Amino acid sequence: MFDLLIQYEWMRNALYAGVIIGFISPLVGVYLVVRRLSLIADALAHVTLSGVAAGLLMQKEVAWFQGVNPLYTGMFFSLAGSMFVEKVRSLYRSYQELAIPILLSGGIGLGVVLISAADGFNVDIAGYLFGSILAVDEGELTLIAGIGILVVLFFLFFYKEMFALSFDEEHAVLTGISRKIINLLFMLVVALVIAASIRVVGILLVSALMTIPVAASLQFTNSFRQTLIWSVVFSQLAVFSGLFAAYYLDWASGGTIVLVSVAILLLILAVKRIVRIFRRNPVS
Amino acid sequence: MKEHVIEIKNLHFSYEEQPVLDGINLVLDRGQFLGLVGPNGSGKSTLIKCVLGMLKPERGEIRLFGQPVRHARLGGRIGYVSQKANSFNLGFPATVKEVVASGLYGQLGLLRRMGRLEWKKVDQAIAKVGLSAFRDRNIGKLSGGQQQRAFIARALVADPDLLILDEPTVGVDAKSTEQFYALLTELHRHHGLTLLLVTHDIGVLSTSVDQVACLNKRLFFHGDPDEFAQREQEILTQAYGHDIQIVSHHHH
Repeated sequence: MFDLLIQYEWMRNALYAGVIIGFISPLVGVYLVVRRLSLIADALAHVTLSGVAAGLLMQKEVAWFQGVNPLYTGMFFSLAGSMFVEKVRSLYRSYQELAIPILLSGGIGLGVVLISAADGFNVDIAGYLFGSILAVDEGELTLIAGIGILVVLFFLFFYKEMFALSFDEEHAVLTGISRKIINLLFMLVVALVIAASIRVVGILLVSALMTIPVAASLQFTNSFRQTLIWSVVFSQLAVFSGLFAAYYLDWASGGTIVLVSVAILLLILAVKRIVRIFRRNPVS
Repeated sequence: MKEHVIEIKNLHFSYEEQPVLDGINLVLDRGQFLGLVGPNGSGKSTLIKCVLGMLKPERGEIRLFGQPVRHARLGGRIGYVSQKANSFNLGFPATVKEVVASGLYGQLGLLRRMGRLEWKKVDQAIAKVGLSAFRDRNIGKLSGGQQQRAFIARALVADPDLLILDEPTVGVDAKSTEQFYALLTELHRHHGLTLLLVTHDIGVLSTSVDQVACLNKRLFFHGDPDEFAQREQEILTQAYGHDIQIVSHHHH
């Protein structure tokens, strides 16, 4: 694999993109999961789809837009969607999950209408839906790297505050942590991560890297730090296997990434079970 | 003269025209341990929220350490253990140490990180509540009583002068509750902490606190526990309404 890296630029792009996404997705994922917001990622991904469709439509209709990567319009829609989430959450304090179906169906609805209005695209929309890690180009890698840096900076600055807010929002607010600003920034970060990971796992599978590695870690970790570290480890494992499978076996990268994540989760559940049986009946 | 830690003057508060607090006057001096009792819906939690600055009173004034309350702001001088503390997400991946450390985060401010001094404070707070053996355990896997202690440690870690507890023993078994009150008495007697305990457990009043206040929209009594014990039936009948069976189990 290493000679491939030296030889082919696209392979390097794919690898870098995978490593960055495999790092930032589970990072935001841990916070989404412990705050019971894992579905928000899916909802925002669907909004991103309508953004991508809008971008593709504009590429077709407006000459000036030809050079603009639809990932940027996708990102823009996703950011707008994330602010809508916060708005709905504050409007319906006791129905906070209501934002999810609204965004999910709204996003798909708009996406489908835009695609039909364009009367089809000559780009492969499946690449956006299911990811195509080997097709990441230089410009997209720059976007992904930029988003990666922003996400890392966010957590460097707000690790403490995010932990306190996730564990006990009321107490965090009472100790002087500003809930509104940090929650809004976090939702913007989630939106950025989704836009960045579309190329790697695809819109329909975006939430997989954010939730499945976290679900696996939660099975055996005690501390928040451990959970963060193991989630990233599992997610990197999944991304590398996806890349490998895409290149050597010609399998869909996004699908492979998700399947490997699920396999890791199942493996951990099995190991846990075996350990429990052995503890109950120790071999003498 | 003793410093007034909490000073409430003619406090009024209503939810949608329904008066919940009606002309409350209450003073808590440094080093005192006040037990605040009252039936459900008597405004106990509302009073606490006003004191913490989470709710804005309609009329009246609240001063903490001589300063008027404007914003909600813990850390520094006030520690708080809420009623909801034991209804947190039990699957949350955090150790006792991590939870207790979060009590320092507001004070630390945005860019400062936990240093050696801060972790030492965390260890001390955990030791104070007797959880040193459990510092690296997952908080969700502790017993209800141990979790309650962890939340006390989170409140104590910022070294407050006043500790406010809102029905902290709801859902905790009798033995842990007793140990819990013993811990509060210890913090009060040996560390000189000023305490405000909201409770529906009348039994605790005779053993731990040195001041009792009985609330039901108005303040029906404020004085020492002996006087309260003598007039208990009369005060409770007034505050809780007639025909109410008072369940009072005494701790020994």
